[in-house]
Amino acid sequence: MYISVGLSTEKDPAMAAKEAARLAISNMHTEKTDLAIVFSSIDLAYPVTLKMLSSSLAHTPIIGASGAAIITNQGVFKHGLAVMLLSFPTGVSLNTAYTKDIKAKTSLNAGRELGNKLLSGFRDMRRVISVIFSDGLMDDGSNFIYGLQERLGKSFPLAGASASDNMRFTRTYTFFNQEIFSDGSSGMILGGRLNFGLGIKHGWNALGKPRIVTKAAGNIVYEIDDRPAVKIYEGYLNRNILELKKELKRISVLYPIGIYLSGEEEYLLRNILSIEDDGSMRLHGNIAEGSSIRLMIGTKESCLNATQQATEEAKKALYGQIAPLEKRKQRNFALVFNSTSRYMLLKKDSDKEVDIIKEGLGSETPFIGLYTYGEQAPLQAVSYQGQAYFHNQTIAILAFGG
Amino acid sequence: MDNPEVILNIITGSLKLINILAIAGMAIGLFFTINKSRELQKKSDKLTRSLEEMDGQAKLIVRTDMELNKTQEELDKKISGLYALQRLSRSLSTTLEEGQIFRRITASCLEELGFEKACVLLWHEKENKFIIHLSIGYLENEGHIIKSFIDSEQDKYLDLIKKERAISSTLLQQDSQIDKNKLSHIFKVNSFVISPILPKEGKKGFLFVGTDNLDVAVTAGDEELITILTNQVGQAIENARLFETTWKAQQELEKKVEERTHELTLALEEVKKNSKRKTDFISSVSHELRTPLTSIKGYAAILLEEKLGKLPAPVKERLAKINLHSDELVQMVNGLLDIARIESGRAVMKMEAQDLKDIVDKTADLIMIQCKNKNVELVTDLKGKLPAVTGDRTQLERVFINLLGNAVKFTPEKGKITIRAQVKNNEVQVDISDTGIGIPPDALQSLFQEFYRVDNDVNQQVKGTGLGLSLVKHIIEAHKGKIWIESSLGKGSTFSFTLPLMK
Repeated sequence: MYISVGLSTEKDPAMAAKEAARLAISNMHTEKTDLAIVFSSIDLAYPVTLKMLSSSLAHTPIIGASGAAIITNQGVFKHGLAVMLLSFPTGVSLNTAYTKDIKAKTSLNAGRELGNKLLSGFRDMRRVISVIFSDGLMDDGSNFIYGLQERLGKSFPLAGASASDNMRFTRTYTFFNQEIFSDGSSGMILGGRLNFGLGIKHGWNALGKPRIVTKAAGNIVYEIDDRPAVKIYEGYLNRNILELKKELKRISVLYPIGIYLSGEEEYLLRNILSIEDDGSMRLHGNIAEGSSIRLMIGTKESCLNATQQATEEAKKALYGQIAPLEKRKQRNFALVFNSTSRYMLLKKDSDKEVDIIKEGLGSETPFIGLYTYGEQAPLQAVSYQGQAYFHNQTIAILAFGG
Repeated sequence: MDNPEVILNIITGSLKLINILAIAGMAIGLFFTINKSRELQKKSDKLTRSLEEMDGQAKLIVRTDMELNKTQEELDKKISGLYALQRLSRSLSTTLEEGQIFRRITASCLEELGFEKACVLLWHEKENKFIIHLSIGYLENEGHIIKSFIDSEQDKYLDLIKKERAISSTLLQQDSQIDKNKLSHIFKVNSFVISPILPKEGKKGFLFVGTDNLDVAVTAGDEELITILTNQVGQAIENARLFETTWKAQQELEKKVEERTHELTLALEEVKKNSKRKTDFISSVSHELRTPLTSIKGYAAILLEEKLGKLPAPVKERLAKINLHSDELVQMVNGLLDIARIESGRAVMKMEAQDLKDIVDKTADLIMIQCKNKNVELVTDLKGKLPAVTGDRTQLERVFINLLGNAVKFTPEKGKITIRAQVKNNEVQVDISDTGIGIPPDALQSLFQEFYRVDNDVNQQVKGTGLGLSLVKHIIEAHKGKIWIESSLGKGSTFSFTLPLMK
């Protein structure tokens, strides 16, 4: 397997694309390139970027997304463009696909469509994992995943990242070949002789007494403990609904709702997208009626601990599958999907996360990543049979080797 | 015991007893059950209570954490703003070019100050309009829109500059003439700060910074930070202007110096050329003069010796005068030739170590007769043992003979001539002083010029070539020495010269 990464922090999108592609190509020691994974900060996410990349990379298949910042071995870049080129050995198969106009099609149908496209021409192979990037402002991301899983199989490993922008929640983009689009999704399915290890953690801890969601539908929670949902925040934070609305972004990041999942080590987190006047709350991801929930609290320290745990988990999962130890000398690479919430919380300490990942995976393992508005990854407890869920506030580390 | 009744009674009694016992048992059981459920209830209450207590504590924790986070965030923002300001200030203070000043305000600096859009508009007095000098976060056409908006309301903004105070979207008063919403709309921001740029002289204007981030509210602290920044910018503009003025003046001065140096060089070359022409001329004329002079002298001598026949006394007398004047002319021509030779560097100086005392003694001896005839005292005052000097013996003797000859000539009877010599700064200084008539100040300058003779009684009576001092000067300068005069009328003169020590 050949892997190379090119990074540019040029201000001009076309120049950045040119430079990142040139650097990636010059680090690649083979002519055959199978795939390019591209992450870009929002200020470089323009049609010209993808056009330039595609022509510079001789029309190698491209998938990727925009983010509030991008991540590479070199650190966190608020303005930057990262290109990872991959050349897989024989025995590894790959298919890329996309879907657009999700709103018009409904998330569920769009998910199904992407699933079908990914599977076409892939039916007889040993499927390993699917990785997808999708619009970060999609309202019901959970349904999209649901539709996708209907096609790929509920327990088929699926990891994904929701694209993000500069924390303004205006427009996010996904990339496919030479195209860039909102309200869509692009992804890949990998199969054959390839192994992966996934670690996903957030580091938030439960606080206060458990409560029960008594009325909810989709991603809207109406009542908690038979009272309007917002009361839980009014109570804990001693603020009225207006004040809460004003400070929602901060509150949502610092004190998300945690859903208890039996057998899982960590609670599944949900950020609050908006508070409605009737006291209901729109969450970033679905929540089921009857769920036991708690208020969550996190610190920089717990956040960084989670990074380390996720890295370790990914590494253990990857190496656990490879029989002889000598094989560890093979080339690995990793993708990092990191929540923008963590970026908001860690701020300048974000580079520490990169250091932790670098130390965990080894300095010779190249990785690129992006900050997301949601991460998709399987739950690990046996009872969930590896079904992928929509996560908030996590760092997901997806390590590959083969 | 066989009696069935008794048996029945016993049985009945037993049954009763059993019944009673059973009831009692049940009662006891019930008693215990009630007790247990009470205990459970108690425990449950306790648990609920501690859960509520825990929740209460959780509230406290969350609220404290929230405040802490908020404070931390504000602190972080302020610190990063201050750092950015400090870096910017340093960068601005080293900028001496006006065009460079606004280039130092970069997008990343601005971001650290908490803004992503910025504009600098300066008022151009001559053109009577605002011109954009910096634009960050705006496309070209957006810049045009901003420009025409400001133009349409330029009086308001000129007034803002005049008031010398920053304004911000948060602290803008309702009655302000600047419409906050309109401005926000045109500049495409949610909150902003406008701060005037006020250099002491030159173009005044304002810096606009803004952000479209809805979560950020501009604070008084931001306003202060931006005011500091614009003060720095104003200072930088002022510095640049001062530097520009100084620089221009210096450039002009340098140019003038260069021009003048060039002129002087040309003039010097011309002088050199002239001087050479003069020397050449003198040299050739002198040579040309010598031949006929020799003939004149020769013929006069033949006639005087009366080899061609006896001459009457008046003729002899005239012939003797011709002879005398011819001698003077020869002397003059020789002097001129010597000067020309030394000037042109053709004279060969035999530079050797010379004992100055020797030269002084010898020349003093030569001049002594003249001194005695005129009753003038000649004193030599040589300080200690003088080290050797470098020079040509013959030429140095000429210097002494000329200077001492002059001294005797201009010193009246009973006067005094003193020869002093001493070592000073790696050279020997010789002073020849007399108690003569002195030299008028206006004549001092021209004294060393050829054919210059001071207009006084002595010179009118005694003949001279007017070449002696010029020759002396040339000889001394050829020895890398200096010569100068100090004199006061009626009291006497001192001729001083220096000669380098033998290395």
